[in-house]
Amino acid sequence: MAKGTTVKMWRRTLIVLIVMIAVGFGLILVSLVRLQLVDGAELQKAAVDQQLRDTVIPAQRGTIYDRNMKLLAQSATVWKVVLAPAYIHKEESWPSGYTDEEQLRRTVSAGLAEILDMDEEEIYNRTDGKSYYDVLKTKVEADVKDQVLNFVNEKGLGNIIELQEDYKRYYPFGSFASTILGFTGTDGQGLAGLEAYYDEYLSGTSGRLVTAKNALGTDMPFQYQQKVDAQNGYNLVLTIDEVVQHYLEKNLEEGVINNKVENRAAGIVMNVNTGEIIAMAVKGDYDPNNPFVITDEAERARIAALPEEEQKDATSTALQAQWRNKAVSDTYYPGSVFKMVTLAMAFEENLVTEDTPFTCAGSVLVADKTIKCWRPGGHGAQTVAEGLCNSCNPLFIHLGELLGTDRFFDYFEAFGFTQKTGIDLPGEASNKGLYHERESMTLLNLAVESFGQNFSITPMQMITAASAVANGGYIVQPHVVSQVIDNDNNIIKSADASVKRQVISKETSERLCKVLNMNATTGTAKNGYVAGYRVAGKTGTSEKVGKDGKVGSDNTYIASYCGFAPADDPQYAMLIFFDEPKGESYYGGAVAGPVFSKTMEEILPYLSIEPKYTEDETGSVGISTPNVIGKTTAQAQTELTSSNLKILVKGSGDVVIAQTPDPGSSIPNGGTVVVYTDEPSMGQTVAVPDFSNHSLSDVNYLAAQAGLNIKVTGAATKSTAAISRTQDYSVGEQVKPGTVITVNFVELDTVE
Amino acid sequence: MTDSRSDLKRGERGMSPEKTGGKVKSSGNRIGKKIRQKVNLFSVRAGLDIPFLFLILVLVSIGLVMLFSSSYAYAYHYYADSFYFIKRQALFAIAGIILMVAISYFDYHHFHKFTIPVLVLAWILLGVVMALPGTKGVHRWIDLGVLSVQPSEIAKFALILWFAHFISVNFKRMNTFKIGILPHLFVVVITVGLVVIEPHLSASVILLLISTIMLFVGGVKKKWFIIAFIVVAIAAVLYLTFKEGYANDRIAGWLDPFNPEYIKDETWQTSQSLLSIGSGGLFGLGFGQSRQKYLYLPEPQNDFIFAIVCEELGLIGALLIIILFILLIWRGITLSLRAKDKFGMLLGVGLTTQVGLQVILNIMVVTNTIPNTGISLPFFSYGGTSLIILLAQMGIVLSISRTSAVERS
Repeated sequence: MAKGTTVKMWRRTLIVLIVMIAVGFGLILVSLVRLQLVDGAELQKAAVDQQLRDTVIPAQRGTIYDRNMKLLAQSATVWKVVLAPAYIHKEESWPSGYTDEEQLRRTVSAGLAEILDMDEEEIYNRTDGKSYYDVLKTKVEADVKDQVLNFVNEKGLGNIIELQEDYKRYYPFGSFASTILGFTGTDGQGLAGLEAYYDEYLSGTSGRLVTAKNALGTDMPFQYQQKVDAQNGYNLVLTIDEVVQHYLEKNLEEGVINNKVENRAAGIVMNVNTGEIIAMAVKGDYDPNNPFVITDEAERARIAALPEEEQKDATSTALQAQWRNKAVSDTYYPGSVFKMVTLAMAFEENLVTEDTPFTCAGSVLVADKTIKCWRPGGHGAQTVAEGLCNSCNPLFIHLGELLGTDRFFDYFEAFGFTQKTGIDLPGEASNKGLYHERESMTLLNLAVESFGQNFSITPMQMITAASAVANGGYIVQPHVVSQVIDNDNNIIKSADASVKRQVISKETSERLCKVLNMNATTGTAKNGYVAGYRVAGKTGTSEKVGKDGKVGSDNTYIASYCGFAPADDPQYAMLIFFDEPKGESYYGGAVAGPVFSKTMEEILPYLSIEPKYTEDETGSVGISTPNVIGKTTAQAQTELTSSNLKILVKGSGDVVIAQTPDPGSSIPNGGTVVVYTDEPSMGQTVAVPDFSNHSLSDVNYLAAQAGLNIKVTGAATKSTAAISRTQDYSVGEQVKPGTVITVNFVELDTVE
Repeated sequence: MTDSRSDLKRGERGMSPEKTGGKVKSSGNRIGKKIRQKVNLFSVRAGLDIPFLFLILVLVSIGLVMLFSSSYAYAYHYYADSFYFIKRQALFAIAGIILMVAISYFDYHHFHKFTIPVLVLAWILLGVVMALPGTKGVHRWIDLGVLSVQPSEIAKFALILWFAHFISVNFKRMNTFKIGILPHLFVVVITVGLVVIEPHLSASVILLLISTIMLFVGGVKKKWFIIAFIVVAIAAVLYLTFKEGYANDRIAGWLDPFNPEYIKDETWQTSQSLLSIGSGGLFGLGFGQSRQKYLYLPEPQNDFIFAIVCEELGLIGALLIIILFILLIWRGITLSLRAKDKFGMLLGVGLTTQVGLQVILNIMVVTNTIPNTGISLPFFSYGGTSLIILLAQMGIVLSISRTSAVERS
């Protein structure tokens, strides 16, 4: 018997060997090449995804300051509570002391529900997930974070519950300046206002923390960690002055209420020489801390009453409306305010002078169409300067004719009415297509545009043009941010405060200032008058386009007032704009004028503008109350009389122990100082009477009756027709005798 | 009967030029002419095969190093000792190598006598393991305290020995049904049947493949393989069609290992293995740099150790190791083919083929070329007794090599 290997065995063994190597190892080779080379990158990425915990280190968003470094918006550290339910399903990754998944899930959900004030069942359900990153709650403040941390440490849940740093935006003054500031979204991204416009500067660059973790998320001695620090955002220093902004907002709000304004209001205060926006307000606005809450309660109630399917759209519309910056995003017919621009053109072109006579017949025929003056019967014979003070439409139609379409359009363009102002705020509206182009402007168009109708501009464009009228003819760049700085106060970016161009001469500008000052003193704009501050201004009342597309069909109006001060050295321009006032009056002079006047009166002293009183103004001007405390009543009387003040003694003592008004505070010329000579009499108070809707003499009488002093503001000194509208102490409030009550007067009959 | 020693030497020297000439047919005839000789225990007739020994030692060394690299994070986490696995495996490797060398001195012809005892022992152990309480319904291990044994490992050797013995004795009648098929069918059905009920699918597959190869090499007519193939194919189709659940889930998991629906089940291991292999790319992350071994890949020191090899050493490193295995198999087969007798030849082919099959099936599982079944990687995977058994079997091949008519360099 053959012992060794036969040929057949040889052959068959070699077949086995070859099949094993060719098929077996061949398949393996194919698999390895496919996995390591073809799909390698993809698999590697998936592997890295599960191995590395890539945590974003958020950057702290920059702070926003007003021009005096008062804090307007700031980011503070908060925390994110993140759940990694995947670890709950792995027995190996349970903290010691847990024996089953259910127990662990209950511990986690009960503990967190209590601390985070969340629904326990919801958390319990989420612990069933397979994720490593389920954000349970964001914007958790420090005290809650500490509670979570204690809970995690106590129960040993470090791998299941994670706390991550984040930032929350705080606006310490609530709705204050919200339109300018804007607000941020949940991820800290700027969504409106400066927060959106300067987002790239404010947001900074977030860092990353890349950690290699094992499959259980617990720490192991072999670890890899790489950290890229976050680069905090830059800070903004605004041109806004918090004090001025406060006055503007307060008065605008009051104006909205008093005049039953239906479609919100806007106001702008601008430095005419630099283009710095000192204040910009829109009412009603919103609280940027809670931007998604509709501020207007009536609107909220209206939406709540709607059918459910309409609520979402209605809410969205209402939110969009309250976020909208009317001062830059709305376009409107400037109306008679524009007449200052037309007059500037006519002066610059030497077509007329202040004293050129013009007779208003009450209507003008332009291209077969009769255009009426606002005043039935017309203004009759007047000079050009008087025509502006009368806001006489036929005069401006005439000036338009003298200019012709070409020249008119040249100036129209030069004043910046065909371009956005380029202010550093989002959503500036373009008025392209809302005015007549040079080529298509008919004489009728020209006539109507000359007095400010039938073309739309933004309030921002109007105040920029008005600033040029005031500042010697220069178009400046309006801006809100003066500097972008880093945390070490290095300047990253400065505002472009350059002058763009000169449109009228310095001389023309000065002449305009005089005419507009006259208008605010004795003309149709006298509701904007402020004693001692040489205010120049122009009113405007424009009809809005109705729902049917026709002008005036809904009887809705925009009342505005635009002016500046002081007229002899213009510094600050202000535009007040009420959309759809539905109160007693809808005229610019009566509605916007008093708000302009009151705001100017409050901000100009603050802005260090020296008052200069004319002869007839001194009567209504306040003087500093002398200090008579410690003196005898006789001495006090002598001293007060010499200051042209009256004295009223209360009490039976001989020596003055207290006085109203307080020493050094303002008292109107000829007012009464109440002095007290004993303790009991000091407790006396009087109720503030209702001073509204009276003539100046009636108000003085009522004040005397009540033993109060009256400070008169507004049109009263310039117009006997003015009647009192608002007072700074509410009716019925108990005040000490002698308290100075400020009463504002408005000439309601003034139209246009 | 001539002096076997001088006969061998003559044969050896006579074979050398022929081997270089590559004349397979003539060498077969020469070896076939050798006649039965008396064998002595530990009779050293020639030196053992150095290349084969060298390949084994290289693979054992690389295996130990990779075992350490793949297991230390796992060992640290579960045993608080990074050296837990490597310490044990290294001891078994040393013991195994000593045993291997010792067995290489042992005349393999003595195994003729052990054929039936070893087979019966394997059956008894397979019966015992079923009687023992298994884990999760699976009975694979017999725990002897210090170490534990898989009876299926013994069964593999028992079958190889059975075929080598029976075929070499009854070689001329292997083409008959009575001798070529019937007894083997009996032995294989009992052995594989006992392994199937453990259940241990991968071991069953290996046993069947070994049986097929042994019978094929042993000269059984081809028609029986065709018949067997058809029967197995039909059985497989029926099994997959009618047995719902477990098996089908496995197939589904195999086809789509990244489906999150299966991610908590067996396919988790497969998907993590693929991520490891893919992470390696061409050159690997570098030795010791695997990230998947940080508890992502479950039990990286066991069946899926090759995934960590791929991750750390890349395609280049994986191919080098595969080439080492191919060289080992090639050398083992070459040695066997030139063995002095059919018993040695069949025994050597069986033992070498077993290693080859384990390597191929293991890497196929690791690369998800076939569904996940538990097959360890020879010389690499953790497991003391299986390493010792493997090295002992390699010792038998070395013993055969002493009689083999190849040039030893």
